[in-house]
Amino acid sequence: MSTENADATEIDATDGPDGSNDAGASATARGEPATDASDLDGEDLVLGYPNAPGPVIDGESIAAEPGAVTALVGPNGSGKSTLLKGLATQLAPEDGSVLVDGRDVHAMDTKALARKLGLLSQESTSPNSITVEDLVYHGRYPHRGFFERTTDEDAVAVEEAIELAGCGHLRDREVGSLSGGQKQLAWIAMVLAQDTDVLLLDEPTTFLDLHHQMEVMEIIETLRDESDVTVVVVLHDIEQAARLADRMVALKDGEIRARGAPEEIVTEDLLADVFRVDADVVQTENGPRVTPLRARHAESE
Amino acid sequence: MSGGRSVAGEGAARRASEGRIGALFDPKLVSVALASVAVVVAGGLVQVSFGAYSMTIGEAWRAVLDPAVLLDPRWLLNFVVGEGLMRSITGFQGELPELAHETLIVWNIRLPRVFVAAIVGMNLGVSGAIFQAVTRNELASPFILGVSSGAGLMILLTLVVFGGLSAFLPLIAALGGAVAFLVVYAIAWKNGTSPVRLVLAGVIVGTVFNSLQTGLFFFADDIGVVQSAIQWTTGSLTGTDWEQVRMALPWTAVAVALSLAGSRQLNLLLLGEQTAKSLGMSIEKVRFALSGVAVLAAAASIAVAGIVSFVGLIVPHMVRNLVGSDYKRVIVGCLFVGPALMVAADVGARLGMGVITGAASQIPVGIVTGLIGGPYFLYLMRRQQNMGEL
Repeated sequence: MSTENADATEIDATDGPDGSNDAGASATARGEPATDASDLDGEDLVLGYPNAPGPVIDGESIAAEPGAVTALVGPNGSGKSTLLKGLATQLAPEDGSVLVDGRDVHAMDTKALARKLGLLSQESTSPNSITVEDLVYHGRYPHRGFFERTTDEDAVAVEEAIELAGCGHLRDREVGSLSGGQKQLAWIAMVLAQDTDVLLLDEPTTFLDLHHQMEVMEIIETLRDESDVTVVVVLHDIEQAARLADRMVALKDGEIRARGAPEEIVTEDLLADVFRVDADVVQTENGPRVTPLRARHAESE
Repeated sequence: MSGGRSVAGEGAARRASEGRIGALFDPKLVSVALASVAVVVAGGLVQVSFGAYSMTIGEAWRAVLDPAVLLDPRWLLNFVVGEGLMRSITGFQGELPELAHETLIVWNIRLPRVFVAAIVGMNLGVSGAIFQAVTRNELASPFILGVSSGAGLMILLTLVVFGGLSAFLPLIAALGGAVAFLVVYAIAWKNGTSPVRLVLAGVIVGTVFNSLQTGLFFFADDIGVVQSAIQWTTGSLTGTDWEQVRMALPWTAVAVALSLAGSRQLNLLLLGEQTAKSLGMSIEKVRFALSGVAVLAAAASIAVAGIVSFVGLIVPHMVRNLVGSDYKRVIVGCLFVGPALMVAADVGARLGMGVITGAASQIPVGIVTGLIGGPYFLYLMRRQQNMGEL
């Protein structure tokens, strides 16, 4: 009886005219040029927190380039994480709307949305005694019905996610026993197992050592080069952002100050304006290299 | 990703062979279950052997396993579903066959009390486990969202003010608990809830209701009423028989089935609200539904035993320390450890005073569970660095 139910929910659950939710479809799509990647648009978003006096983001629009990596950069308190939370529907917009492939996310069923749009939060907590593999299996939650057991499709998605995140050697370890960097890889594997068309990452490299920062960067590069997942990532490190992103969006005080290709964005003027630093910017083959010289103080501006 | 397929295939095969209940064949969980069953059986044997009419362990065994009952579906149905339903099921209209004196005592008086203890332990364990996940706090108990204070207030109101309704006391107490839970939820609700808001609302409602409850004690003019009220508000199994088993069993079955079905949702709640939401869980609905299941279990235990403290707090805690945090195992573990603790505590409640003072009086089992619970937490506090956060 449960198998029949399971099948029924699976059919009901599949939505979108192109059936792009099917794990099979996106699995075959990997490695192909970005053809039917998903759009993510935020239109005239007004985002704030219930107890704060005014909105953090006041009427900004943002469109993530389909199948590419869009990086949000900006100083502390510029609203980049808030914007990401708004796009991820963690924060309900006071005005404006978020559209995935033209459909308003707030009108979508939560599970259907979670098959389209994944989020890696900045702070993730889990019980210490859960194994990495079990954690990654939780990423399959939106693909399963209420009484459904894990299918071969789930197992394949989990294996691919674990391999892409490079945490196969951690599979049977308990999450509580991992280092910060290893934990982050496990969480990334979990959102990858979710197998979404759009992936939002909130400061995935912050607090990691250099090795794990590079690991995370490489995962995002793989997504960029070999799949048509649309990635939006908040990054603190502007050099990293420039190296990783196809497009960059720079925010300050809740406003989008600049958007475009990395070489257009990472300039000495922009660093002075948005980040309030004097810096040397040198274009290298690994992208622009930023050498911060000094902080600009209010009186010197 | 070229090499990924073969690895994926193996993993899929491994998962598939484990299946849904595969996770339960965990050596730790199995040994916890076996040890708990051993405690229940040992405690049960002590309970049926000793009392006003003493018999040897051998006689007690023979009475429990008396074929005149075990092999006679009429007697079994008579106990489990009641005489009326037994007669309509079996169509039997005559007199039931005579039973030996020992068998009658064991089956009519002593055994049902053991069953009620086991059922109460199950309910409280499962209820506590769910509330600990919902509030993401391992110090949560089944009574954290106002259930005990609502039930306690209704118990006092019934006993002191509406004495005529005392026949319906179990039902009224359970309903009082459920209503208090709804009040707590309504207070905590403001565009959704959060664990902290729920717990705070529980404290608010608990404080007010407990004050009212204590105030009502002043209007009790009869020491018997006060004693009865104390029995209900501390939890007691004195005088329970098959009627209590029949009352609690259906609700227990429903609550246990629902909590097992919800174990995956509980696991996801443990990953935090943000993650659960981004994985597509309708977090408010799930949280309310799971809390409702936990309240149902708690209410079923209140209806038959009153407000037994600490069991729902310790049991999930012990189980988690033994089998890990996977809620499928935690819930199943609670189904075994809860009865073990409750049956053992009831041995102390029923026979302890007799051993210590020689008097034949019984104390409410809630007093014994409190006496066990305090030291257990002292031990945990000394051993563990961080407590509280799940």
